[in-house]
Amino acid sequence: MHLFGIETEYGITREDLDAVDPVEESMELVRAHLPGKFERRWDYRGEDPHEDARGFRVSGLQQDKEEDDFAKVDAHRPFSFHEMKSDLVLPNGARFYNDHTHPEYSTPECRTLKDLLAHDRAGERIVQRAADRRNQQLGGAHVQLYKNNTDFHGHSYGCHDNYLVSRSLPFAQLVSGLLPFLVSRQLVAGAGKVGMEAQESGFVPGPFQLSQRADFMEAELGVDTMHNRPILNTRDEPHADPTKYRRLHLILGDANMCEYATALKVGTTRLVLDLLQRGIVPNLELEQPVAAIKQLSRDPDLKTTVRLKDGRTISGLAIQEEYWNAVSRCCAGSDPDADWVLREWQETLGVLRQDRTQLVGKLDWVTKQWLLETFMREERLAWEDPWLASLDLEYHNVNPDRGLYLGLEAEGKTWRMTSERDVAQALVAGPSDTRGGLRGLCVRRFPEQITGMQWERVQFAGGLRARTLEMGDLFEPDAVQACAALLEAAASPADALAAWTRRKDG
Amino acid sequence: MRYMLMPERREAPGDPMPKPSGPSEEGGGPRRPETGSPDKDNLLKRMRKVDPKQAERYRQRTGE
Repeated sequence: MHLFGIETEYGITREDLDAVDPVEESMELVRAHLPGKFERRWDYRGEDPHEDARGFRVSGLQQDKEEDDFAKVDAHRPFSFHEMKSDLVLPNGARFYNDHTHPEYSTPECRTLKDLLAHDRAGERIVQRAADRRNQQLGGAHVQLYKNNTDFHGHSYGCHDNYLVSRSLPFAQLVSGLLPFLVSRQLVAGAGKVGMEAQESGFVPGPFQLSQRADFMEAELGVDTMHNRPILNTRDEPHADPTKYRRLHLILGDANMCEYATALKVGTTRLVLDLLQRGIVPNLELEQPVAAIKQLSRDPDLKTTVRLKDGRTISGLAIQEEYWNAVSRCCAGSDPDADWVLREWQETLGVLRQDRTQLVGKLDWVTKQWLLETFMREERLAWEDPWLASLDLEYHNVNPDRGLYLGLEAEGKTWRMTSERDVAQALVAGPSDTRGGLRGLCVRRFPEQITGMQWERVQFAGGLRARTLEMGDLFEPDAVQACAALLEAAASPADALAAWTRRKDG
Repeated sequence: MRYMLMPERREAPGDPMPKPSGPSEEGGGPRRPETGSPDKDNLLKRMRKVDPKQAERYRQRTGE
Protein backbone atom coordinates (compact mmCIF):
# COMPACT_ATOMS: atom_id res chain seq x y z
CA MET A 1 0.00 0.00 0.00
CA HIS A 2 1.62 3.26 -1.07
CA LEU A 3 0.14 6.64 -0.34
CA PHE A 4 1.98 9.92 0.06
CA GLY A 5 1.54 13.66 -0.08
CA ILE A 6 3.45 16.90 0.40
CA GLU A 7 2.57 19.95 2.49
CA THR A 8 4.37 23.14 1.47
CA GLU A 9 4.44 26.34 3.50
CA TYR A 10 5.29 29.23 1.19
CA GLY A 11 7.19 32.34 2.18
CA ILE A 12 5.19 35.50 1.50
CA THR A 13 6.18 39.12 1.25
CA ARG A 14 4.80 42.51 0.18
CA GLU A 15 7.40 44.52 -1.66
CA ASP A 16 5.48 47.80 -1.36
CA LEU A 17 5.51 47.80 2.44
CA ASP A 18 8.32 48.27 4.92
CA ALA A 19 6.59 46.10 7.52
CA VAL A 20 4.55 43.11 6.39
CA ASP A 21 1.87 41.48 8.53
CA PRO A 22 2.20 37.82 7.51
CA VAL A 23 -1.02 36.77 9.25
CA GLU A 24 -3.14 39.18 7.29
CA GLU A 25 -1.21 38.72 4.05
CA SER A 26 -1.49 34.92 4.16
CA MET A 27 -5.19 35.14 4.98
CA GLU A 28 -5.84 37.59 2.14
CA LEU A 29 -3.80 35.51 -0.27
CA VAL A 30 -5.78 32.34 0.41
CA ARG A 31 -9.06 34.22 0.14
CA ALA A 32 -7.98 35.75 -3.16
CA HIS A 33 -8.34 32.23 -4.52
CA LEU A 34 -12.08 32.31 -3.84
CA PRO A 35 -14.62 33.66 -6.31
CA GLY A 36 -17.13 34.07 -3.46
CA LYS A 37 -17.07 34.63 0.28
CA PHE A 38 -15.15 32.33 2.60
CA GLU A 39 -17.18 29.55 4.20
CA ARG A 40 -15.90 27.57 7.12
CA ARG A 41 -15.69 23.91 6.10
CA TRP A 42 -12.55 22.37 7.60
CA ASP A 43 -13.28 20.26 10.67
CA TYR A 44 -10.38 20.50 13.13
CA ARG A 45 -11.68 17.73 15.35
CA GLY A 46 -9.48 15.24 13.50
CA GLU A 47 -6.30 17.15 14.30
CA ASP A 48 -4.33 16.52 17.46
CA PRO A 49 -0.58 17.15 17.23
CA HIS A 50 0.01 16.23 20.90
CA GLU A 51 -0.05 12.43 20.53
CA ASP A 52 3.46 10.99 20.36
CA ALA A 53 4.17 7.76 18.46
CA ARG A 54 6.49 6.68 21.28
CA GLY A 55 3.38 6.01 23.34
CA PHE A 56 2.63 9.15 25.30
CA ARG A 57 0.90 12.49 24.98
CA VAL A 58 2.61 15.84 25.43
CA SER A 59 0.85 18.65 27.26
CA GLY A 60 2.05 21.38 24.92
CA LEU A 61 4.20 22.11 21.91
CA GLN A 62 7.27 24.33 22.03
CA GLN A 63 7.71 27.55 20.18
CA ASP A 64 10.46 30.09 20.51
CA LYS A 65 10.18 33.25 22.57
CA GLU A 66 9.67 35.46 19.56
CA GLU A 67 6.73 33.33 18.44
CA ASP A 68 5.29 33.44 21.97
CA ASP A 69 5.24 37.22 21.68
CA PHE A 70 3.62 37.10 18.25
CA ALA A 71 0.98 34.70 19.55
CA LYS A 72 -0.03 37.22 22.22
CA VAL A 73 -0.58 39.82 19.51
CA ASP A 74 -2.50 37.34 17.36
CA ALA A 75 -4.90 36.71 20.23
CA HIS A 76 -6.10 40.30 19.98
CA ARG A 77 -6.61 40.44 16.23
CA PRO A 78 -10.15 41.21 15.00
CA PHE A 79 -10.41 37.79 13.32
CA SER A 80 -11.67 34.47 14.61
CA PHE A 81 -9.45 31.38 14.49
CA HIS A 82 -11.36 30.13 11.45
CA GLU A 83 -11.12 33.46 9.67
CA MET A 84 -7.37 33.55 10.17
CA LYS A 85 -6.97 29.98 8.97
CA SER A 86 -9.23 30.50 5.93
CA ASP A 87 -9.08 26.77 5.38
CA LEU A 88 -10.08 25.73 1.85
CA VAL A 89 -10.56 22.31 0.30
CA LEU A 90 -10.14 22.57 -3.45
CA PRO A 91 -11.86 20.64 -6.25
CA ASN A 92 -8.66 18.63 -6.72
CA GLY A 93 -8.80 17.36 -3.13
CA ALA A 94 -5.96 19.62 -1.95
CA ARG A 95 -6.04 21.83 1.14
CA PHE A 96 -5.04 25.47 0.84
CA TYR A 97 -4.93 27.61 3.97
CA ASN A 98 -2.99 29.92 6.24
CA ASP A 99 -0.83 27.76 8.48
CA HIS A 100 1.40 29.46 11.03
CA THR A 101 1.41 32.68 9.01
CA HIS A 102 2.38 30.97 5.77
CA PRO A 103 0.10 30.06 2.87
CA GLU A 104 0.20 26.28 2.83
CA TYR A 105 -0.73 23.98 -0.01
CA SER A 106 -1.19 20.31 0.86
CA THR A 107 -1.46 18.00 -2.11
CA PRO A 108 -4.21 15.41 -2.15
CA GLU A 109 -3.00 11.93 -1.27
CA CYS A 110 -1.23 10.31 -4.23
CA ARG A 111 -0.37 6.73 -5.06
CA THR A 112 2.21 7.34 -7.82
CA LEU A 113 5.14 9.70 -8.16
CA LYS A 114 3.79 11.07 -11.40
CA ASP A 115 0.55 12.12 -9.71
CA LEU A 116 2.46 13.63 -6.80
CA LEU A 117 4.68 15.72 -9.07
CA ALA A 118 1.67 16.99 -11.02
CA HIS A 119 -0.09 17.98 -7.80
CA ASP A 120 2.99 19.62 -6.35
CA ARG A 121 3.31 21.70 -9.53
CA ALA A 122 -0.44 22.41 -9.47
CA GLY A 123 0.10 23.79 -5.97
CA GLU A 124 2.72 26.24 -7.28
CA ARG A 125 0.28 27.41 -9.95
CA ILE A 126 -2.61 27.78 -7.51
CA VAL A 127 -0.69 29.84 -4.97
CA GLN A 128 0.76 32.03 -7.74
CA ARG A 129 -2.70 32.49 -9.26
CA ALA A 130 -3.92 33.64 -5.84
CA ALA A 131 -0.96 36.08 -5.70
CA ASP A 132 -1.86 37.38 -9.17
CA ARG A 133 -5.45 38.03 -8.04
CA ARG A 134 -4.28 39.64 -4.82
CA ASN A 135 -1.88 41.83 -6.80
CA GLN A 136 -4.73 42.87 -9.07
CA GLN A 137 -6.62 44.01 -5.96
CA LEU A 138 -3.53 45.87 -4.75
CA GLY A 139 -2.82 47.45 -8.12
CA GLY A 140 0.72 46.18 -8.57
CA ALA A 141 2.94 43.10 -8.38
CA HIS A 142 3.58 43.60 -4.68
CA VAL A 143 3.00 40.09 -3.29
CA GLN A 144 5.75 37.57 -4.00
CA LEU A 145 5.76 33.93 -2.92
CA TYR A 146 8.74 31.69 -2.27
CA LYS A 147 8.79 27.89 -2.26
CA ASN A 148 11.73 27.70 0.13
CA ASN A 149 12.37 27.11 3.82
CA THR A 150 14.22 30.07 5.31
CA ASP A 151 14.18 33.85 5.57
CA PHE A 152 17.96 34.07 6.19
CA HIS A 153 17.25 35.54 9.63
CA GLY A 154 16.78 32.32 11.59
CA HIS A 155 13.11 31.66 10.73
CA SER A 156 12.30 28.44 8.95
CA TYR A 157 9.06 27.06 7.53
CA GLY A 158 8.43 23.60 6.30
CA CYS A 159 7.87 21.29 3.41
CA HIS A 160 6.62 18.07 4.94
CA ASP A 161 6.42 14.75 3.16
CA ASN A 162 3.89 12.25 4.48
CA TYR A 163 3.54 8.50 4.02
CA LEU A 164 0.91 5.97 5.02
CA VAL A 165 2.64 3.22 7.01
CA SER A 166 1.27 0.05 8.54
CA ARG A 167 0.85 0.26 12.31
CA SER A 168 2.30 -3.26 12.47
CA LEU A 169 5.78 -1.86 11.85
CA PRO A 170 7.19 -1.19 15.34
CA PHE A 171 8.00 2.49 15.76
CA ALA A 172 11.45 1.76 17.20
CA GLN A 173 12.29 -0.20 14.06
CA LEU A 174 11.03 2.66 11.92
CA VAL A 175 13.31 5.06 13.79
CA SER A 176 16.46 2.97 13.67
CA GLY A 177 15.92 2.08 10.05
CA LEU A 178 15.16 5.59 8.86
CA LEU A 179 17.52 7.93 10.73
CA PRO A 180 20.73 7.34 8.72
CA PHE A 181 18.77 7.46 5.48
CA LEU A 182 17.08 10.73 6.41
CA VAL A 183 20.32 12.35 7.57
CA SER A 184 21.89 11.61 4.17
CA ARG A 185 18.78 12.15 1.98
CA GLN A 186 19.80 15.78 1.47
CA LEU A 187 22.46 14.62 -1.00
CA VAL A 188 19.69 14.09 -3.54
CA ALA A 189 16.91 16.22 -2.06
CA GLY A 190 18.63 19.28 -0.60
CA ALA A 191 17.54 22.60 -2.08
CA GLY A 192 20.87 24.31 -1.32
CA LYS A 193 21.50 27.40 0.79
CA VAL A 194 23.96 30.25 0.99
CA GLY A 195 25.41 30.72 4.48
CA MET A 196 24.40 29.38 7.87
CA GLU A 197 21.77 30.20 10.44
CA ALA A 198 19.89 28.65 13.33
CA GLN A 199 16.65 29.19 15.18
CA GLU A 200 16.57 32.72 16.58
CA SER A 201 20.17 33.36 15.57
CA GLY A 202 21.41 35.70 12.92
CA PHE A 203 22.40 34.73 9.42
CA VAL A 204 26.07 34.10 8.86
CA PRO A 205 26.93 34.76 5.22
CA GLY A 206 29.33 32.32 3.73
CA PRO A 207 29.80 29.13 1.83
CA PHE A 208 27.09 27.13 0.17
CA GLN A 209 25.50 24.11 1.84
CA LEU A 210 23.28 21.30 0.58
CA SER A 211 20.18 21.86 2.65
CA GLN A 212 17.90 24.70 3.73
CA ARG A 213 16.59 22.83 6.77
CA ALA A 214 19.66 21.05 8.20
CA ASP A 215 20.61 24.14 10.23
CA PHE A 216 17.24 23.93 11.98
CA MET A 217 17.38 20.27 13.05
CA GLU A 218 17.98 20.19 16.79
CA ALA A 219 16.82 16.75 17.95
CA GLU A 220 16.74 13.16 16.72
CA LEU A 221 13.13 12.58 17.69
CA GLY A 222 10.30 14.74 18.90
CA VAL A 223 6.73 15.79 18.46
CA ASP A 224 7.58 19.49 17.99
CA THR A 225 7.68 21.16 14.60
CA MET A 226 8.33 24.87 15.30
CA HIS A 227 11.10 24.69 17.88
CA ASN A 228 13.64 22.04 18.77
CA ARG A 229 12.81 20.45 15.42
CA PRO A 230 13.51 16.72 15.11
CA ILE A 231 14.98 14.76 12.22
CA LEU A 232 12.15 12.29 12.70
CA ASN A 233 8.88 13.79 13.84
CA THR A 234 7.00 11.54 16.25
CA ARG A 235 3.57 13.14 15.86
CA ASP A 236 1.03 10.33 15.93
CA GLU A 237 -1.80 11.80 13.90
CA PRO A 238 -2.59 9.12 11.32
CA HIS A 239 -5.57 10.76 9.60
CA ALA A 240 -6.66 7.16 9.06
CA ASP A 241 -7.82 4.16 11.09
CA PRO A 242 -5.34 4.38 14.00
CA THR A 243 -5.50 0.65 14.68
CA LYS A 244 -4.10 -0.11 11.23
CA TYR A 245 -2.02 2.84 10.12
CA ARG A 246 0.51 5.48 11.01
CA ARG A 247 1.27 8.62 9.07
CA LEU A 248 5.00 9.17 8.84
CA HIS A 249 5.23 12.96 8.99
CA LEU A 250 8.69 14.08 7.92
CA ILE A 251 9.56 17.70 8.61
CA LEU A 252 13.25 17.71 7.76
CA GLY A 253 12.92 18.02 4.00
CA ASP A 254 13.52 21.04 1.81
CA ALA A 255 10.97 22.44 -0.63
CA ASN A 256 12.16 21.37 -4.05
CA MET A 257 11.79 23.23 -7.30
CA CYS A 258 13.27 20.39 -9.39
CA GLU A 259 10.65 17.77 -10.19
CA TYR A 260 13.37 15.13 -10.40
CA ALA A 261 14.54 15.94 -6.84
CA THR A 262 10.96 15.72 -5.54
CA ALA A 263 10.56 12.35 -7.25
CA LEU A 264 13.78 11.02 -5.72
CA LYS A 265 13.02 12.47 -2.27
CA VAL A 266 9.64 10.81 -2.01
CA GLY A 267 10.47 7.77 -4.14
CA THR A 268 13.56 6.77 -2.16
CA THR A 269 11.77 7.31 1.15
CA ARG A 270 8.89 5.15 -0.02
CA LEU A 271 11.31 2.37 -0.95
CA VAL A 272 13.13 2.53 2.38
CA LEU A 273 9.75 2.23 4.12
CA ASP A 274 9.02 -0.83 1.96
CA LEU A 275 12.34 -2.26 3.10
CA LEU A 276 11.59 -1.67 6.77
CA GLN A 277 8.10 -3.13 6.43
CA ARG A 278 9.76 -6.33 5.22
CA GLY A 279 11.71 -6.43 8.47
CA ILE A 280 15.06 -5.45 6.95
CA VAL A 281 17.06 -2.73 8.71
CA PRO A 282 20.49 -1.74 7.32
CA ASN A 283 23.26 -2.11 9.89
CA LEU A 284 23.99 1.59 10.30
CA GLU A 285 23.63 3.54 13.50
CA LEU A 286 24.90 7.11 13.60
CA GLU A 287 26.71 8.22 16.73
CA GLN A 288 25.33 11.79 16.54
CA PRO A 289 22.59 12.17 13.92
CA VAL A 290 21.91 15.85 14.65
CA ALA A 291 25.55 16.80 14.24
CA ALA A 292 25.82 14.52 11.19
CA ILE A 293 22.97 16.17 9.28
CA LYS A 294 24.71 19.55 9.66
CA GLN A 295 28.16 18.16 8.82
CA LEU A 296 26.92 16.56 5.62
CA SER A 297 24.97 19.66 4.63
CA ARG A 298 27.99 21.91 5.02
CA ASP A 299 30.21 19.92 2.68
CA PRO A 300 29.09 20.28 -0.95
CA ASP A 301 32.23 18.38 -1.98
CA LEU A 302 30.66 15.33 -0.28
CA LYS A 303 33.97 14.25 1.30
CA THR A 304 32.91 14.56 4.95
CA THR A 305 32.49 11.38 6.92
CA VAL A 306 30.34 10.90 10.01
CA ARG A 307 30.85 8.45 12.83
CA LEU A 308 28.75 5.36 13.40
CA LYS A 309 28.12 3.90 16.86
CA ASP A 310 30.31 0.90 16.02
CA GLY A 311 33.29 3.21 15.48
CA ARG A 312 33.34 3.19 11.69
CA THR A 313 33.17 6.42 9.74
CA ILE A 314 31.11 6.75 6.60
CA SER A 315 30.31 9.38 3.99
CA GLY A 316 26.81 10.53 3.09
CA LEU A 317 27.17 8.93 -0.33
CA ALA A 318 28.19 5.62 1.22
CA ILE A 319 25.14 5.70 3.52
CA GLN A 320 22.86 6.28 0.53
CA GLU A 321 24.59 3.48 -1.38
CA GLU A 322 24.09 1.06 1.50
CA TYR A 323 20.39 1.85 1.44
CA TRP A 324 20.28 1.51 -2.34
CA ASN A 325 21.92 -1.92 -2.10
CA ALA A 326 19.46 -3.12 0.52
CA VAL A 327 16.42 -1.73 -1.29
CA SER A 328 17.46 -3.05 -4.68
CA ARG A 329 17.72 -6.57 -3.29
CA CYS A 330 14.23 -6.54 -1.85
CA CYS A 331 12.15 -4.14 -3.94
CA ALA A 332 13.36 -4.43 -7.53
CA GLY A 333 10.49 -5.32 -9.83
CA SER A 334 7.80 -4.59 -7.27
CA ASP A 335 6.16 -1.84 -9.34
CA PRO A 336 7.09 0.65 -12.08
CA ASP A 337 7.76 3.50 -9.64
CA ALA A 338 10.13 1.29 -7.63
CA ASP A 339 12.11 0.38 -10.73
CA TRP A 340 12.31 3.98 -11.91
CA VAL A 341 13.53 5.16 -8.52
CA LEU A 342 16.10 2.37 -8.19
CA ARG A 343 17.55 3.16 -11.61
CA GLU A 344 17.66 6.93 -11.17
CA TRP A 345 18.80 6.82 -7.55
CA GLN A 346 21.75 4.60 -8.42
CA GLU A 347 22.72 6.74 -11.37
CA THR A 348 22.43 9.96 -9.34
CA LEU A 349 24.70 8.60 -6.60
CA GLY A 350 27.21 7.54 -9.23
CA VAL A 351 27.17 10.93 -10.91
CA LEU A 352 27.57 12.71 -7.57
CA ARG A 353 30.88 10.86 -7.20
CA GLN A 354 32.04 12.01 -10.63
CA ASP A 355 30.87 14.97 -12.72
CA ARG A 356 27.87 16.39 -10.96
CA THR A 357 27.31 19.05 -13.59
CA GLN A 358 25.16 16.36 -15.22
CA LEU A 359 22.71 16.91 -12.38
CA VAL A 360 22.04 20.56 -13.14
CA GLY A 361 18.30 20.82 -13.70
CA LYS A 362 17.73 17.60 -11.75
CA LEU A 363 18.90 18.32 -8.20
CA ASP A 364 18.20 21.71 -6.66
CA TRP A 365 21.40 22.15 -4.69
CA VAL A 366 23.54 21.34 -7.71
CA THR A 367 21.48 23.62 -9.94
CA LYS A 368 21.55 26.50 -7.48
CA GLN A 369 25.27 26.13 -6.83
CA TRP A 370 25.91 26.15 -10.58
CA LEU A 371 23.80 29.29 -11.06
CA LEU A 372 25.42 31.12 -8.17
CA GLU A 373 28.98 30.17 -9.11
CA THR A 374 28.35 31.27 -12.68
CA PHE A 375 27.08 34.61 -11.37
CA MET A 376 29.97 34.96 -8.93
CA ARG A 377 32.47 34.58 -11.75
CA GLU A 378 30.63 37.10 -13.92
CA GLU A 379 30.31 39.68 -11.15
CA ARG A 380 33.49 38.81 -9.24
CA LEU A 381 31.65 38.14 -6.00
CA ALA A 382 32.64 36.10 -2.93
CA TRP A 383 30.28 33.79 -1.02
CA GLU A 384 29.99 36.43 1.71
CA ASP A 385 28.37 38.93 -0.65
CA PRO A 386 24.75 39.59 0.45
CA TRP A 387 23.62 39.54 -3.19
CA LEU A 388 24.03 35.75 -3.15
CA ALA A 389 21.47 35.22 -0.39
CA SER A 390 19.05 37.37 -2.42
CA LEU A 391 19.68 35.23 -5.50
CA ASP A 392 19.22 32.11 -3.39
CA LEU A 393 15.82 33.46 -2.31
CA GLU A 394 14.86 34.39 -5.87
CA TYR A 395 15.68 30.87 -7.09
CA HIS A 396 12.49 29.84 -5.24
CA ASN A 397 10.17 32.63 -6.39
CA VAL A 398 7.12 30.95 -7.98
CA ASN A 399 6.36 34.00 -10.10
CA PRO A 400 7.36 32.80 -13.60
CA ASP A 401 8.46 36.32 -14.56
CA ARG A 402 10.98 36.46 -11.73
CA GLY A 403 11.92 33.06 -10.33
CA LEU A 404 15.40 31.88 -11.27
CA TYR A 405 14.49 28.20 -11.32
CA LEU A 406 11.40 28.91 -13.40
CA GLY A 407 13.56 31.01 -15.73
CA LEU A 408 15.85 28.05 -16.21
CA GLU A 409 12.85 25.81 -16.77
CA ALA A 410 11.40 28.20 -19.35
CA GLU A 411 14.65 27.84 -21.28
CA GLY A 412 14.22 24.07 -21.29
CA LYS A 413 17.24 23.50 -19.05
CA THR A 414 15.53 21.48 -16.35
CA TRP A 415 14.13 17.99 -16.28
CA ARG A 416 10.37 18.24 -16.64
CA MET A 417 8.77 15.04 -15.44
CA THR A 418 5.23 16.32 -15.83
CA SER A 419 3.46 17.60 -18.91
CA GLU A 420 1.38 20.75 -18.94
CA ARG A 421 -1.58 18.43 -19.50
CA ASP A 422 -0.73 16.56 -16.27
CA VAL A 423 -0.59 19.82 -14.34
CA ALA A 424 -3.81 21.11 -15.91
CA GLN A 425 -5.56 17.90 -14.88
CA ALA A 426 -4.17 18.18 -11.35
CA LEU A 427 -5.52 21.71 -11.08
CA VAL A 428 -9.09 20.49 -11.44
CA ALA A 429 -9.23 16.91 -10.10
CA GLY A 430 -7.45 14.69 -7.60
CA PRO A 431 -5.92 11.28 -8.33
CA SER A 432 -8.61 8.88 -9.50
CA ASP A 433 -7.33 6.09 -7.26
CA THR A 434 -7.04 7.77 -3.85
CA ARG A 435 -9.34 9.30 -1.30
CA GLY A 436 -7.85 12.67 -2.26
CA GLY A 437 -9.64 12.26 -5.56
CA LEU A 438 -12.87 11.38 -3.73
CA ARG A 439 -12.56 14.48 -1.56
CA GLY A 440 -12.20 16.64 -4.64
CA LEU A 441 -15.11 14.89 -6.33
CA CYS A 442 -17.34 15.67 -3.34
CA VAL A 443 -16.35 19.35 -3.62
CA ARG A 444 -17.20 19.39 -7.32
CA ARG A 445 -20.42 17.38 -7.17
CA PHE A 446 -22.04 18.50 -3.93
CA PRO A 447 -20.45 21.79 -2.83
CA GLU A 448 -23.61 23.15 -1.21
CA GLN A 449 -24.30 20.07 0.89
CA ILE A 450 -20.86 19.73 2.50
CA THR A 451 -20.86 20.83 6.14
CA GLY A 452 -17.42 19.63 7.21
CA MET A 453 -14.29 18.09 5.76
CA GLN A 454 -11.03 16.70 7.00
CA TRP A 455 -8.48 14.22 5.69
CA GLU A 456 -10.43 11.10 6.58
CA ARG A 457 -14.06 12.11 6.18
CA VAL A 458 -16.56 14.35 4.40
CA GLN A 459 -19.76 15.33 6.19
CA PHE A 460 -22.91 16.28 4.36
CA ALA A 461 -26.06 17.99 5.57
CA GLY A 462 -29.12 15.82 5.26
CA GLY A 463 -32.25 15.39 7.34
CA LEU A 464 -31.98 14.77 11.00
CA ARG A 465 -28.60 13.08 11.02
CA ALA A 466 -25.44 14.17 9.36
CA ARG A 467 -24.30 11.89 6.56
CA THR A 468 -20.64 11.08 6.49
CA LEU A 469 -18.32 9.55 3.93
CA GLU A 470 -15.74 7.77 6.08
CA MET A 471 -12.35 7.39 4.39
CA GLY A 472 -10.14 6.30 7.29
CA ASP A 473 -9.64 2.91 5.71
CA LEU A 474 -10.53 3.63 2.11
CA PHE A 475 -7.24 3.05 0.34
CA GLU A 476 -7.70 0.17 -2.11
CA PRO A 477 -7.85 1.68 -5.63
CA ASP A 478 -10.75 -0.55 -6.70
CA ALA A 479 -12.81 0.53 -3.71
CA VAL A 480 -11.94 4.20 -4.29
CA GLN A 481 -12.99 3.98 -7.91
CA ALA A 482 -16.22 2.19 -7.04
CA CYS A 483 -17.05 4.89 -4.51
CA ALA A 484 -16.21 7.59 -7.08
CA ALA A 485 -18.58 5.99 -9.60
CA LEU A 486 -21.40 6.12 -7.06
CA LEU A 487 -20.71 9.75 -6.21
CA GLU A 488 -20.63 10.64 -9.89
CA ALA A 489 -23.93 8.91 -10.64
CA ALA A 490 -25.95 9.81 -7.56
CA ALA A 491 -28.43 12.66 -7.51
CA SER A 492 -27.53 13.53 -3.93
CA PRO A 493 -24.91 12.71 -1.30
CA ALA A 494 -27.56 10.72 0.58
CA ASP A 495 -28.18 8.52 -2.46
CA ALA A 496 -24.43 8.02 -2.99
CA LEU A 497 -23.79 7.14 0.65
CA ALA A 498 -26.73 4.73 0.72
CA ALA A 499 -25.44 2.99 -2.39
CA TRP A 500 -21.91 2.91 -0.95
CA THR A 501 -23.19 1.35 2.28
CA ARG A 502 -25.10 -1.30 0.31
CA ARG A 503 -21.99 -2.13 -1.71
CA LYS A 504 -19.82 -2.46 1.39
CA ASP A 505 -22.43 -4.58 3.21
CA GLY A 506 -23.05 -6.73 0.16
CA MET B 1 33.51 22.77 -7.33
CA ARG B 2 33.61 24.75 -10.56
CA TYR B 3 30.94 24.60 -13.20
CA MET B 4 31.96 25.91 -16.56
CA LEU B 5 29.35 24.68 -18.98
CA MET B 6 25.87 23.30 -18.93
CA PRO B 7 26.25 19.54 -18.84
CA GLU B 8 25.56 17.20 -21.67
CA ARG B 9 22.15 15.60 -21.24
CA ARG B 10 21.08 12.07 -21.65
CA GLU B 11 17.65 10.65 -22.34
CA ALA B 12 15.00 11.62 -19.82
CA PRO B 13 14.01 8.70 -17.60
CA GLY B 14 11.55 6.22 -19.03
CA ASP B 15 8.33 4.83 -17.62
CA PRO B 16 6.44 5.32 -15.47
CA MET B 17 6.96 9.04 -15.42
CA PRO B 18 8.53 10.97 -18.25
CA LYS B 19 8.25 9.74 -21.76
CA PRO B 20 11.59 9.98 -23.55
CA SER B 21 10.48 12.65 -25.94
CA GLY B 22 11.47 16.13 -26.95
CA PRO B 23 9.55 19.22 -25.93
CA SER B 24 5.90 18.38 -26.16
CA GLU B 25 3.56 20.12 -28.54
CA GLU B 26 1.25 21.29 -25.79
CA GLY B 27 3.88 23.67 -24.47
CA GLY B 28 5.30 21.72 -21.56
CA GLY B 29 7.02 18.48 -20.50
CA PRO B 30 7.63 15.70 -20.18
CA ARG B 31 10.74 16.54 -22.02
CA ARG B 32 14.44 16.21 -21.76
CA PRO B 33 16.49 19.36 -21.43
CA GLU B 34 18.22 20.64 -24.50
CA THR B 35 21.84 19.72 -24.93
CA GLY B 36 24.46 22.39 -24.69
CA SER B 37 25.00 25.64 -22.87
CA PRO B 38 22.09 27.58 -21.44
CA ASP B 39 21.16 30.96 -22.75
CA LYS B 40 23.33 32.37 -20.04
CA ASP B 41 22.70 35.97 -21.04
CA ASN B 42 18.98 35.75 -20.40
CA LEU B 43 19.41 34.11 -17.06
CA LEU B 44 22.21 36.42 -15.97
CA LYS B 45 20.04 39.35 -16.94
CA ARG B 46 17.31 38.00 -14.68
CA MET B 47 19.85 37.47 -11.90
CA ARG B 48 21.24 40.99 -12.21
CA LYS B 49 17.73 42.39 -11.71
CA VAL B 50 17.58 40.85 -8.23
CA ASP B 51 18.02 43.50 -5.57
CA PRO B 52 21.17 42.64 -3.57
CA LYS B 53 19.37 43.72 -0.39
CA GLN B 54 16.29 41.58 -1.02
CA ALA B 55 17.22 38.81 1.43
CA GLU B 56 18.14 41.37 4.06
CA ARG B 57 14.60 42.81 3.90
CA TYR B 58 12.85 39.45 3.68
CA ARG B 59 11.40 38.53 7.07
CA GLN B 60 9.09 35.65 7.91
CA ARG B 61 7.63 34.23 11.06
CA THR B 62 8.66 30.76 12.14
CA GLY B 63 6.55 28.08 10.54
CA GLU B 64 6.51 24.35 10.97
